[in-house]
Amino acid sequence: MIKDDSQEANHIELGKFYFLNNKFNEAVAEFEKVLEVNPSNAEAYYNIGLIKEVSNLPNEAKDMYSKALAIRPDYKIARDRLNKLIGIEN
Amino acid sequence: MKKKQYAVIGLGTFGYNVAVELEKKGIQVLAVDNDSEIVNKISAFVTQALIADATDEKAMEDAGIADCDTVIVSIGESIETSILSTLIVKELGVKNIIVKSASSWHSKVAAKIGANTIVYPEFEMAKKLVDGIRSPNILEQIELSKEYNLIEVVAPKEIWGKTIKISGFRNNYGVNIIAIRKQIPFINDDGQSDMKEETNMVPGPEDEIDQNDILVVVGSKESLAKLKGDK
Repeated sequence: MIKDDSQEANHIELGKFYFLNNKFNEAVAEFEKVLEVNPSNAEAYYNIGLIKEVSNLPNEAKDMYSKALAIRPDYKIARDRLNKLIGIEN
Repeated sequence: MKKKQYAVIGLGTFGYNVAVELEKKGIQVLAVDNDSEIVNKISAFVTQALIADATDEKAMEDAGIADCDTVIVSIGESIETSILSTLIVKELGVKNIIVKSASSWHSKVAAKIGANTIVYPEFEMAKKLVDGIRSPNILEQIELSKEYNLIEVVAPKEIWGKTIKISGFRNNYGVNIIAIRKQIPFINDDGQSDMKEETNMVPGPEDEIDQNDILVVVGSKESLAKLKGDK
């Protein structure tokens, strides 16, 4: 499949918009669309992780942050949030 | 006013961290251990670090233990050494002695010889861990008295979107919400989604409880057990 960068970016922006407005189900749906287009999009995994964390689902959040870090090991904000959930001080 | 001074005797993992954290809070700490390597290591982080035998009364006196307001005895490897050291500290006239215990018998003996507070971190952490596994929605639990606890709990689904008054929280569970912690989504300076926490310390009857809120609740242990779903 040919990757469509603009489509990816649009879904990311829309997902962030929903996240900001506490519409978490809609936000997750947008980030999942990003992953359908590009399964290696670390930002989408990070954002889903953040929503899982805010929804008090720490294990699912850890899983998502780990996936983001597997793609982008230098993803600082994802690393910080994962460390915090595991109990490691940054 | 004279600055408070603490001593930590025994610099294993627990004692070492207690000493460093106290000093970070601006409290003068005298750290004592018979291992020169660990004393050297901590010397950069505390007011004074000394190599001394905790069971030698003269050495403890010379170290200035008697001048301390509080002494924390955190000798883990030998109960005998811990007890003897506690006794020496007591005889030197220290008003407040905290002992890290390694077993229930250790706790009983330390209490008999005059320890003011006994901490049993392994037991307390084990209990906390089990509570966390059993009730994942309970994030924190603090014992206020024999009958009352304070807990932090994820807002139950049935009250999402309701005000405190309409939720009937007090009537249904017999507990009081004393604070609400909210997770607020925002976009940070790097353009990344992020979230911060805001706490409403004086929730009123008209304040609404949202899906992701964490409630700080006070109530009897019996009422809180009902809330946790234990009964």
